Amino acid sequence: MRSVLTASTEARLKQGLEEATRLGASAAKLRLRHEDKLECEFEAGEVKSAGSKETLTCTAEVIANGRRGASIGNRLDDVSTIVERAVALAKAAGSAAHFDAYPAAADTTPVETRSERTLALSADEIIEASRRMDELVKAYGSDLYIRCGGDRTAGESLLVTTGGACHSHERTTWSLGLFAQETRGTDMVLAYDERSWGDLNDTYDVEALAERILEDLRRAETIVESPSGRVKAYLPPDMLSMFLWPVTLGISGRNVAKGESPLRDRLGQQVLAPTLTLIDDPHQPFAPGARSIDDDGIPTRRQTLFENGVLQRFLYDLDTAGLAKTEPTGNPGCWPNNLVVQPGTQPSAELLKSIDDGLFIRDLIGFGQSNIMNGDVSANVGLGFRIKNGEIVGRVKDTMIAGNLYELLAGNVQLSSDLDYTGRFPHAVIEGLAVSSK
Amino acid sequence: MRDRLLEALKKSTADYAEIRAEFTDNTALTYRGPEIDRAESSSCCGGIVRACTKGGWGSAAFDSVEDLDRQVEEACRCAALVGHGTTELAQVEPVDAERPAQLERDFRGIGLDEKVRLMGSYNDIILGAGPAIESSYVVYMDSFRRVHFASTRGAYYMEERPQVGCFLVATARDGALVQRAHSSTGSPTTYGIVVGLEEKAREVAERAQALLKAPQPEGGPHTVILNPRMAGLFTHEAFGHLSEADFIHKNPKLRELMAIGREMGPANLNIIDDGTLSDRVGGHAFDDEGTPTHKTYLIKEGRLAGHLHSLETAARMGAQPTGNARAVHWTDPPIVRMTNTYIDNGDTPVDELFDGVDKGVYACDGHGGQTAFEMFTFSASYGHRIENGQKGELLRDVILTGNVFETLKSMDGIANDLTVPEGLGGCGKENQSPLPVSFGAPHVRIRNVVIGGK
Repeated sequence: MRSVLTASTEARLKQGLEEATRLGASAAKLRLRHEDKLECEFEAGEVKSAGSKETLTCTAEVIANGRRGASIGNRLDDVSTIVERAVALAKAAGSAAHFDAYPAAADTTPVETRSERTLALSADEIIEASRRMDELVKAYGSDLYIRCGGDRTAGESLLVTTGGACHSHERTTWSLGLFAQETRGTDMVLAYDERSWGDLNDTYDVEALAERILEDLRRAETIVESPSGRVKAYLPPDMLSMFLWPVTLGISGRNVAKGESPLRDRLGQQVLAPTLTLIDDPHQPFAPGARSIDDDGIPTRRQTLFENGVLQRFLYDLDTAGLAKTEPTGNPGCWPNNLVVQPGTQPSAELLKSIDDGLFIRDLIGFGQSNIMNGDVSANVGLGFRIKNGEIVGRVKDTMIAGNLYELLAGNVQLSSDLDYTGRFPHAVIEGLAVSSK
Repeated sequence: MRDRLLEALKKSTADYAEIRAEFTDNTALTYRGPEIDRAESSSCCGGIVRACTKGGWGSAAFDSVEDLDRQVEEACRCAALVGHGTTELAQVEPVDAERPAQLERDFRGIGLDEKVRLMGSYNDIILGAGPAIESSYVVYMDSFRRVHFASTRGAYYMEERPQVGCFLVATARDGALVQRAHSSTGSPTTYGIVVGLEEKAREVAERAQALLKAPQPEGGPHTVILNPRMAGLFTHEAFGHLSEADFIHKNPKLRELMAIGREMGPANLNIIDDGTLSDRVGGHAFDDEGTPTHKTYLIKEGRLAGHLHSLETAARMGAQPTGNARAVHWTDPPIVRMTNTYIDNGDTPVDELFDGVDKGVYACDGHGGQTAFEMFTFSASYGHRIENGQKGELLRDVILTGNVFETLKSMDGIANDLTVPEGLGGCGKENQSPLPVSFGAPHVRIRNVVIGGK
């Protein structure tokens, strides 16, 4: 990638800050993001496309007359115009500002987010990985429809604020995705999996991705009756991560300050099961949300969110911290940077074996359509299997789950000692999930 | 711009190449509770070159329209890297057209302060509607997109695609129970769409509060009547996506399942996708491959009548292109998408649909939905019990699920009150979201639909 983070770019952005001040802004920040992406798609046994994307975004955020305005452009030459528009917007229609100034430059913890070997990943190599995934899954049956692909992104960013912060950052990411569909009459089995990471380490594993899809297809060969009523559910790590979605909404300082979070009065209380310890770890090398500084120039830090199920803290960006009259926590948009769940004690295979009768949830359709902030969930089991006497006996169809995730996650929750490829999520068993079937 | 694009395309070494360059200006103002939560504007330009060589596609997306020659070369290089078959793209008469926006009331002439004042007035109505109202979410957005397109077939067009609209959301709370009600409106032609929504603001605030006291329906199969917004969402989500030929053309089993002529529903069922409806946000003159938009019958008299196509899927399936290759952002390649999709009128008066239901659920105003081929799940914003043909008690959390083939066949009543609401749409597919689409229907009745519940 041709870097745009030169001394002259930095000077140009700093000049933009001065222009904002001249136009009447009391505080301003400018952020430049530049990304270069390579991507390849493979479909039905042949390469479908290869492409490159180069994008640049320049965002100005200002406070003028006590109100905030933001403006975005995508040309470095336009910095003056972007700043002018942000100031004009702040003055005419700005949002309420809950802070006066950006903080001064502070010491940050260095975090590894740039990998030379990820940068070196070529289109040819991604095509080859896709071809291999296609080949491995196709061995299951020639009638399968298979799509797969991958990409490699190199990104750089620069943040300057009137507080004096000047921070540049580079990030690399690869991702691989694999989708297979089997059609039997009007019945279809859809299996999908993906992986993404910053460093091209041993998690860049096409065999592991293909094996998970093959396992799904084999398990789906027999269709069995769904369990119904209140059942035990086995959640693979990606499903546990999805089930924690309302919790991430609940600990958002913005949702708390606006009175919309159901957790707003629950600091220090037992909210989740004692097995659940949740940490925001922005310093895990090469994690997708790893960063040493947030979008306002606040250093990030490792923070425990739930300790043995007890709510420890809410997350705040600079503006929301002002609104809630508290300190910012270094979380852009008040979201966790990199949510990590501490492992349990039993291997996942043993957890599965311990279930007499239950539902293995591999994929849900329509999750998040209910009142997700409240924790309500009602979704269709896109791909799920019945567990009997500790064994997966076949696929369930026309099955819906319903319940409140806060209630389910406060009940008996068991976590596995082994984690997913990112080292962030264990497998889980929850109890009392309402399951209905046609 | 015309000459610059066509000149750059002379560098193409591919079987086919095209350039799409775009200039967009957006404004978004958001109230959340009593304060403006976010005010943002953007003004950007960029584009994408796509090239096809021996059936393989290469692309280069960029932010600067200054160095188009290099982008054409890059896209052609990528195409050459992947192409190993034959390029098959349907023929269409190359266009040469300029389609400036035709705005009844141009939002660009309205001051930011006026837009804020108007949204603030709706926000005040919601927040003042009652003690159970906890918060509001009111969003104004406008977008002016100018698209320039040229291809190596000599086609060129410039089309302006404006869009303006707003969302009104009310949140009500009773202890741990939180309920939301929402309304969205959007138009490609007039700022007038966001004016005079005081009654709508009152409605959403009242509904959010009423939903706090509403029970959930019992889980299991029910006879349901869908109102036009809900039936429209069902049509788009559950059936429309299956009609998109990009997933069908290389998938022999699915091709068999979605074969033209297959019986899909009752003989009075007609489903149409119509990109020529220029007063709805899904309507344009041309798609993002330069094909004029069409009115396409997907189901005619109960039988599968057509698919939605790009140039490539049309050629590979021996069909005519339908003008459905659309891209959300200039960095995105066009993929097969819907435009304005609806069920056409039947001939049953709405009252008669209700008369036939002793016990059922009236599902209103789709809230969201997801499909995985034949399986769908989508939620209504609210519902009512139907008892002895009468609309009764309000219901919350009405979520429908099923198999689209079975559900279409179970449709036993289509009313004569077709409505295609003026909304903003926001369809997502393959990481391209939100695409402006609209959808609608008359009231429809379906037997034996599974409703989720505890």
